Amino acid sequence: MSRFANRREAFWQGIRDALGAPVLVLFAGMVGFGAMGRSHGFDAWMTGLTSLLMFALPGQVVMLEMFISGSSLLAIGFAVTLTSTRFVTMVVTLFPQLHRRDRNPLLYLWVHMLAMTAWAVSMREFPRMRPQHRLNYFLGLALPCWLISPMGTVLGYFVAGWVPAAVTLGLVFINPLFFLLTFTDVKPWANRIAIGLGCVLGPVFYVLDADSSLLLTGLVAGSLAYWVDRRWLRPRPVVVQT
Amino acid sequence: MTADVQGWGMWLALSAACIGTYICRAAGVKLSGHIHQDSEVFRWLSAVTYAMVAALTVRMILMPLGLLATVPVLLRVVICALSLAVMVSSPQRRLVPALLTGTLLMLAYGVFRASP
Repeated sequence: MSRFANRREAFWQGIRDALGAPVLVLFAGMVGFGAMGRSHGFDAWMTGLTSLLMFALPGQVVMLEMFISGSSLLAIGFAVTLTSTRFVTMVVTLFPQLHRRDRNPLLYLWVHMLAMTAWAVSMREFPRMRPQHRLNYFLGLALPCWLISPMGTVLGYFVAGWVPAAVTLGLVFINPLFFLLTFTDVKPWANRIAIGLGCVLGPVFYVLDADSSLLLTGLVAGSLAYWVDRRWLRPRPVVVQT
Repeated sequence: MTADVQGWGMWLALSAACIGTYICRAAGVKLSGHIHQDSEVFRWLSAVTYAMVAALTVRMILMPLGLLATVPVLLRVVICALSLAVMVSSPQRRLVPALLTGTLLMLAYGVFRASP
């Protein structure tokens, strides 16, 4: 039994799944970023291009803030790259689930459309479909998310002056709230513990050193969660009596 | 200020940030070629990723940059808790109602704050 008849159907289902919460979340976050770019005196082209070419909201915000505060180019590049290290493991946990035929150099192109939103949804949906349908589902899901981002940014840039602050406030809050809510859908215990520990340790490491805090939290909390799961929670392998 | 920000320095910063971010994505593709989804490394990296994403989410809620920082932290936490309650109130997960709860509450606070 298969959820989709063919790859085209998987692609369209991806599009349909995108045109709900995921697109809304990206759009809202990017409107907030556009408004932020405007209030800091950046030009509209620049702010929109950031969303199209970088497409990583936390990194974009870090770049903007650091540039304003007059950090050196090297420091900006370094801090943004550290913030983006999550992409390494996000890709590593998502792409091995694709069909072997789809794991080719074209992935270097598709990977640009991967953001936390499409990742969270794909991690939830992939186990429910056959491997040969997963890439097309992912593309259907990620493409609208990517395309809406520069549009939201430019819109946010131009409406920043006259939209009430209350509306912008509601919009910028959608982004973190979405990720918080998707955590309740995570099934494996190792990942659940990792989320819990990450929530606690994240702020602690952030106070110690903001730039490297994500990477450090990931390594410490993730490894601890993996170990606890392996040591105590997994069903013991059945020992065959001879 | 506005004039300074438009200069070539900004374009260089954008290029550096884009390249850095894309390198992370490409490194993921490169590494993923060597990892099998049933392996222990895969399970460990999944846990590491979820911990990073959790840390990032908590950072955006507790230590935000920009407009959200003007909202009292206790209020941000209470609104998150209420939205989570709506989300888990059904086994089917009410994502959109939960998102709306949080967003509308935050909007309501903004309106309340703006009124004299």
